[in-house]
Amino acid sequence: MTMKKAIGIVVAAIAVVALGFSGCLFLGRDPMSFAGGSTVALAAYQGVDITGVPAQLASADLVKRGEYLTHAADCQACHTAPGGAPFAGGFAFNMPFGTIYSTNITPDKQTGIGNYTDAQFLAAVHKGIRADGEKLYPAMPYSSYTYMTDADALAIKAYLFTLAPVHAPARQDQLSWPFSQRSLLAIWNVVFNPDERFRPNTGQSPQWNRGAYLAEAMGHCGECHTPRNLAYAPDNHGKFAGAPTAGWRAYNITGDKDSGIGNWSDQDLFSYLSTGHANGHGGAAGPMGEAADDSLSYLVPDDTHALVAYLRSIPSHASDLPRTVKTAAPASYKEGVAAESNSRGEKIFAGACASCHDWTGVSPVTDYATLTGVRAVNDPSATNVAQTVINGVNRKTVEGTIFMPAFGEGYSDDDIAAVANYVTARFGAKGANLTGKDVADLRKQAAQQSKETPNG
Amino acid sequence: MLTLTINGLSHDVDVPEDMPLLWVLRDHLNLVGTKYGCGIAQCGVCTVHVGGKPVRSCQLTIGDVGTRAVVTIEGIGSTPNGAKVQQAWMEAAVPQCGYCQAGQIMSATALLDSNPQPDDSDIDAAMAGNICRCGTYIRIRRAIKNAAAKSA
Ligand code: FES
Ligand code: FES
Repeated sequence: MTMKKAIGIVVAAIAVVALGFSGCLFLGRDPMSFAGGSTVALAAYQGVDITGVPAQLASADLVKRGEYLTHAADCQACHTAPGGAPFAGGFAFNMPFGTIYSTNITPDKQTGIGNYTDAQFLAAVHKGIRADGEKLYPAMPYSSYTYMTDADALAIKAYLFTLAPVHAPARQDQLSWPFSQRSLLAIWNVVFNPDERFRPNTGQSPQWNRGAYLAEAMGHCGECHTPRNLAYAPDNHGKFAGAPTAGWRAYNITGDKDSGIGNWSDQDLFSYLSTGHANGHGGAAGPMGEAADDSLSYLVPDDTHALVAYLRSIPSHASDLPRTVKTAAPASYKEGVAAESNSRGEKIFAGACASCHDWTGVSPVTDYATLTGVRAVNDPSATNVAQTVINGVNRKTVEGTIFMPAFGEGYSDDDIAAVANYVTARFGAKGANLTGKDVADLRKQAAQQSKETPNG
Repeated sequence: MLTLTINGLSHDVDVPEDMPLLWVLRDHLNLVGTKYGCGIAQCGVCTVHVGGKPVRSCQLTIGDVGTRAVVTIEGIGSTPNGAKVQQAWMEAAVPQCGYCQAGQIMSATALLDSNPQPDDSDIDAAMAGNICRCGTYIRIRRAIKNAAAKSA
C-alpha cells in the first residue's frame, strides 16, 4: 500500500467517524422527534390554538398576554441576580470553561433592550443574535425558544417594555479560550439550533401539542433535564433523563419507574408542577424551586395538565439512580441504617435537623419538610441534599412561604458532607460519600458571586 | 376562624393560616410561657408538643396544626412525665437565666414520653436542638435522669 493511499484511507476513516459523530449529535437535536408521526406548519394545523395564551386570556391585551408568556418562558429566573432587580440580569452561570452572566432585559436604552426593534428581539430569541450582531452564548436557551411563534415572542417583548428601565451594565464574562470567542458559536448554531418554529404533530392530541409547545418552546425543560453532549448541547437521545445543572442535579423526568416519574400519579405531577411540591415526593428547591415559583405556578390548570400529558409521552429512560425508598426510618435514632455510626453527621442531624425532619424523616411540622420518598434524598451523590443544606429553602409559593434555614455559612464543608452522607444513608436508598472537598466544589458551582474565578 | 385544642381547652382564633403557631400562642392567646428565640428552628426555645411530638412552634404554621392537640409549657405540668420533669428541674435548680427552659422542659418531657429510661446518648439525640446560652446542660442531663428514676 502506498503512503498516499494509506493516508487517504485514514483521512476517509476520520471523515466517516466525524460525520457519524456529528450526525449522531445532530440526530439528538430535535427534542420532539421521539413522538414520530408527521408534523405540519402551524398555519396548516387544523384545530384549537396550541400556541399563545390559554382561552381565558385570549381577549386580554397584548401586555397581559405577554406577561403570561414571560412567566411560561421563565425569563425571570435567569435574568435576575439574587437580590437584584427583576429582569436586570447579572445571574451567574458557572460552567466548566468559565462564568457568564445573564443580561439586562429591562427596557433601559443604554444597558437593557430599550432600543431593540421587533426584528432584533426575534433574532435574539430565535437565533441567539444580539442587536449589535454579536452571538449570544447558548446559556440563553434560544435553541429552545426558536420554537416560539413570532407573535408570542413579541408579546413577551411588549410586556418587558412595560417594566421600569433599570440601569444595569452587563457583567464581564470570564471564559477561557477558545470559549471566549463568540464567533465560533456560528458553527454551534448551524449544528444545534434548528431555527424553526414549532410544528404541531398531527398524530398527537391538541393537548399533547400544547404541552409540547409549553415544555419545549416556552419552559425549555430540556435545558436542565436533558443531558448535554460534548458540545454542550442537549442530547435528546437521553431526553429528560436528568443532568447536572448549576451545581444541582435536575432529575430524570421520563417514565422510568425507579429513577423517573413513572410511579408518580398524574395528580402528583400536577401538584408538583403547579406548587413545587407533591406529598410523598418532596418539594422543589434550588433551580427547580425557582422554576416553580417564577414560572410553572403561573400556568392555568389546563396548561399544567397539558404539560403532564406531554411528560407522560416521553420515552422511559433508566438513569443511574436507585429506586426511591418509600418507607420511613425508625423513630429511634438507634435503629435503622446508619444507626450505630454515632457519627458527626448524626450529631449534626440531632442538633440542627431532627426537630423539623424527625428521626423518621416524616416531618411533624409540615409535609414540605418530609424527607421520606424524596428523590434528592435517594440520590447517592447527595448533590441536592448538600445544596439544600448549604442554601436552605426560601420559596414564596401560592401555599405560603416554604422555609428552611441556610446552613452554608455556619457549618464547615466537612460538617455539610457528614450530614448529607447521614441523611442519604438513613432516609434514602444508599448513603453518599461526600467529602469536604466535594462540598466546596458544589458551593462554587452554585455560587452567584464568583468574581474571583480566574479564567485564563 | 380556626379551632385549636391547647392544653385540653379549645380556642377559636381568627388569624391567617400561614401564621406560625408561636405567634398565635404568644400574641393572640397570651400563652407567653413559650419563648421566641431564633425564629428559624435553630434554638429550640419555642418547643411545644403537637400531637404528642416536640415541635418548633416558630416553624409550624397554624394551618398545618390541624386537629392535633397542642400542649405548651403552661399545660405540661398536668401530664405525668411533665410533672416529674418539672419536679426534677426544681430539685436540680436547673435554670440560670431561664430563657431556654420552657423549651428544654418540653423536649425533655417528650423524650421521657417516648423513652422512659434514656441513656446519655438518647439525651444527646433528643436535646441537641435545644440550646442554652447559660450552659446549664449538665444540670439538664442530671434532671432528666432524676425524672426518669422517678418513673421507675
Ligand atoms: S424560636 Fe423556634 S427554634 Fe428558635
Ligand atoms: S438558662 Fe439561660 S439560656 Fe438556658
